[in-house]
Amino acid sequence: MSRETYAKRSLGEVYDKVHKAKVLMVGAGGIGCELLKNLVLTGFGEVHLVDLDTIDLSNLNRQFLFGHEHIKKSKALVAKETASKFNPNVNLVAYHANIKDPQFTVKWFKSFDIVLNALDNFDARRYVNRMCLTADIPMIDSGTTGYNGQMRVVIKGKTECYECNPIEPPKSFPVCTIRTTPSQPIHCIVWAKSYLFSQLFGIDEDASPDLDNTENKENEDELKNLRLENEELKKVKNAFGTVEFAKLVFEKVFQIDIDRLLTLADAWKHRRAPVPLDFASIKAEADAAGYEDLDKVAALLANDQPVWSLHENFVVFTDSINRLSKRLVDLQNRDLGGSKSILTFDKDDDDTLDFVSAAANLRSIIFGIETKSKFDIKQMSGNIIPAIATTNAIVAGLVVTQAFKVLSNDLTHAKMVYVSQPPSRMLSSGALLPANRDCAVCGVARASIEVDITKLTLGQFIDDVLKEKLSYTDEISVMTSKLLYDVEFDDNLDKTFEQLGIQDGSFITVMDEDEPEDGSTARVNLEFLVLTKEFSSEPAYTLEAISGIPRKPRPEAAESDSDENMVVPASTKRKADEIVETSNGNKKAKTETSGTSETIVLDDEDGTFLID
Amino acid sequence: MSSLCLNRLQEERKQWRKDHPFGFYAKPSKAGDGSLDLMNWSVGIPGKKGTLWEGGTYPLTIAFPDEYPTKPPKCKFPPNFWHPNVYPSGTVCLSILNEEEAWKPAITIKQILLGIQDLLNDPNPDSPAQADAFNAFKRDRALYERRVKSQSKEYATQ
Repeated sequence: MSRETYAKRSLGEVYDKVHKAKVLMVGAGGIGCELLKNLVLTGFGEVHLVDLDTIDLSNLNRQFLFGHEHIKKSKALVAKETASKFNPNVNLVAYHANIKDPQFTVKWFKSFDIVLNALDNFDARRYVNRMCLTADIPMIDSGTTGYNGQMRVVIKGKTECYECNPIEPPKSFPVCTIRTTPSQPIHCIVWAKSYLFSQLFGIDEDASPDLDNTENKENEDELKNLRLENEELKKVKNAFGTVEFAKLVFEKVFQIDIDRLLTLADAWKHRRAPVPLDFASIKAEADAAGYEDLDKVAALLANDQPVWSLHENFVVFTDSINRLSKRLVDLQNRDLGGSKSILTFDKDDDDTLDFVSAAANLRSIIFGIETKSKFDIKQMSGNIIPAIATTNAIVAGLVVTQAFKVLSNDLTHAKMVYVSQPPSRMLSSGALLPANRDCAVCGVARASIEVDITKLTLGQFIDDVLKEKLSYTDEISVMTSKLLYDVEFDDNLDKTFEQLGIQDGSFITVMDEDEPEDGSTARVNLEFLVLTKEFSSEPAYTLEAISGIPRKPRPEAAESDSDENMVVPASTKRKADEIVETSNGNKKAKTETSGTSETIVLDDEDGTFLID
Repeated sequence: MSSLCLNRLQEERKQWRKDHPFGFYAKPSKAGDGSLDLMNWSVGIPGKKGTLWEGGTYPLTIAFPDEYPTKPPKCKFPPNFWHPNVYPSGTVCLSILNEEEAWKPAITIKQILLGIQDLLNDPNPDSPAQADAFNAFKRDRALYERRVKSQSKEYATQ
């Protein structure tokens, strides 16, 4: 019996399409490994996989295509090698490369039938989303965080794209909370990692400039004070690499700075006031506990599970600061002019992790916040969300079932699916939503233009192409990731595309800012894909025919543009998961409480994708 | 970089061009290749008439993150700017610029700048950001005002 027997039997006529499909899989990590296994076992005929990463020890618990012997090797190449043993009949092509590399042109994207994203960052997802929209190739995006996961199908013009709705970015903390009023362990960890560590060992963002340029007799005293503070910091930094350094830093940040915070009496009216630490008495405590003995220090550092006491944190703080400053001095001694070496925080670099853990805990003690173990701090400071193999496997399985529907052109049954942790329903699905008509990415008109970038100037492009051929008015702006031109900015008209940094594969966005007198709306953005080509004669470009650029939809009446309307209710923001399909097939907004998500069952209604 | 962010910033620029409050300026900074970097703006905020801040136009840089407008921009005066709610680095501490407090994606650049202009003469005693100006403001009003005045001369409106 051939290995295709079951796949053929369960997929029916879809098998043929699946077998002939050419698939691009972007990312060969957690989801990617599972997905590639699924693809080769369900009868896909040709899979290209791209991943720029190499295999790390910490991947092996879930990325099962990799073994210990593969550490430091390319994920894409090893994944191909392992998966091809599962099914040697599949044509696998691996690229150890960044999907954003120019070799992966729009034309190359166009050669695929479907693109499957198994990526771990917003930036690459946004990029692939845009390339797939430009190439007009269906894409399935997927992702997991811990027990939660999601996947959805994106098809140009038919469904929402990856950027139709803003994605909630990870939380960041306001500067006030970090510098002055921490209330949770994470605030102190962020302070230690992003503020103190970079002040001491990195680029000093907050360095005060010299104050000699202000000649003003009235404020001489205050200037003197500021100068003093500056010198205070300089003095501390001057002691770099000496035995005094740890003590000076400790006293500056855990004593003097805290004393200064205390003078802001009002800030502590409704909060617990911080309590500065005293270097000498804690040192005495540490010495009494025997921490002058270096073996004892080593033993303390070797175990990252226990929560350290005050004097243990003190010991780790001074020990790690000495290690780090020694490293930095060594590095800088080897600097050959140019920029100065710096250290950067890395959760896997024990010296930096020790320092951040101890400094964060000492600050927590000052502010009466719970202290954490080094192990916990490693997770928190590295923003590590534990990856769970089972979630990856579930999501990868869902991706393949949806890919079947896309390849058989059965979009009415294609879905977006969310995986979540109990007590929520483990799997909930919704129909694919139509594109957001105001989307900045998929709600645009597209064109491509072949250009001799050494010849064509921005001015010619605007006059010949935009105004003459496409009848734009003066009220436009032209952008790449930077603004090249608008009505108030015409400095660049004489520059060639090349001088403006435009290359093969670059995108140029034209925004219509005209407000026609007849009351119609401006056109939607036009996005040009630039393809380079040499031209020996004028004009130095050929424009692909564009079939009209639609006008923007009229703003909805409910939306007010009024400046005074500072407080827009948060509910106007659409969220993908607020819309679910009800039983009769109508879409309606889900209320907070109803939780009417339809449970996904891979049942008959969806056809043949029963898994047994 | 997200197109959503760039679109919004260009829209902000257009709105500003059409209408902005008197005495203010706001423009994206120039990048090395002569284009404009919409993610970083230089702006100027005039002190309000009839206040100690009158006569000065205070320079500020606004850095927009990729996640703008979901996340607020970061606003910075020059380092050591004299104001109770400005950090020694120059970073402005203001509720509408704080993701966890009053930031809303609908807040415009104009509203931010008007908000900071209000803050100049109306510091928030509940969130001190620097010791010197804050303590002077609480305890030694004469000194505080002297410093504000001399700062307004330092940044005298051109």
